[in-house]
Amino acid sequence: MDADGTADVLVRLRDVLRDSAVEEHDWDAVEAETPIESLGFDSLTILDVLYDVEEEFGIALDPKQVVKTRTVGEIITLLQQNGA
Amino acid sequence: MLHLLEYWAARLALFGVDLLPPAAASRWAAALGSLWWTADRQRRRVAISNILRAGVTNDATEARAIGRGASRHMGMVLVESMKSALVLDDPERLRVDIPGDVAAVLEDPDRGLIVVSGHFGNWEIAGQWLSRYKPVAGISRPMTNPRVQELALDRRQRRAFRMIPKYDPDPGRFLKLLGDGEILALLVDQHARRGIDVPLFGHPAKTHTTAAMLHLVARTPLTFLVCRRMAPMTFELSLSPLIEQARTGDREADVEAIVRTLNAHLEEAIRRDPDQYLWGHRRWR
Repeated sequence: MDADGTADVLVRLRDVLRDSAVEEHDWDAVEAETPIESLGFDSLTILDVLYDVEEEFGIALDPKQVVKTRTVGEIITLLQQNGA
Repeated sequence: MLHLLEYWAARLALFGVDLLPPAAASRWAAALGSLWWTADRQRRRVAISNILRAGVTNDATEARAIGRGASRHMGMVLVESMKSALVLDDPERLRVDIPGDVAAVLEDPDRGLIVVSGHFGNWEIAGQWLSRYKPVAGISRPMTNPRVQELALDRRQRRAFRMIPKYDPDPGRFLKLLGDGEILALLVDQHARRGIDVPLFGHPAKTHTTAAMLHLVARTPLTFLVCRRMAPMTFELSLSPLIEQARTGDREADVEAIVRTLNAHLEEAIRRDPDQYLWGHRRWR
């Protein structure tokens, strides 16, 4: 595992995305650089994912911070800043 | 052809609205609504079927009377929305009941609020009243008749009320506006293809989950609004105490609990004034 745990968080995040998403996607190909908008979420499914991410990591994210994120890596950073 | 007829009926109604004093305009709009009830056979069938299915009455004659009353009501909604300043600026015409916890949110510029209602009473007046506290965003599906939509938008008193197209692709749009302390106003009583089945009048109805999910994810306060007509151009607007649902970790169960509560509020309002509800929508499919 990497020193800061980023890879571990990414694996857990992929699992949540896989379980929460409605549309098919190659979730194993999702990397830190992957743009969130390419994941196919809309205003309804993104809320499902956020709920599930918070439950998986046992943290509460600030929605104002979440809407600023543009890549999976930025989500990971946000999760880590909140204790993931 | 039907769109053109609707458009000219709306233009005619507006002409009358501008000429007549408010009470007379309201009565005229009700008469047009009644005429529409007679003319639109398909909507009439749907409305009567819905009223009977809801169990508001078991008598077909009474169901027709309620349906006609609701059609008159919708005509009046249109006129009242055009003349909303008369209502909004006169406390005798708009009696308001706000619980303390909701008032605290409304008066805090940093806190967003999710306000849910249905096509009951006069939701347009309600939205405009809310916008006196904070900017209000409503989600809308364009009217089936674009001519009438354009006409209506031109005439409404909008204040800080804006409409967001239902199919706006920005996934973060709701979170952004709630984070900015705005009000998101949602009408949740239309068939939701991607919604969940929750009972409405005892029958499963596909219902929108957006309000519930936003409450759970953004932790934004949630309330149900009813704006019922007491007399022509006179309303009683009430908000429920804040609806609170603690997260259990079971997303679907949490959402269902909230949606059931919202539907219960809607049912209560409709049962009290069934002739102030839009029955002509195929709610149960």
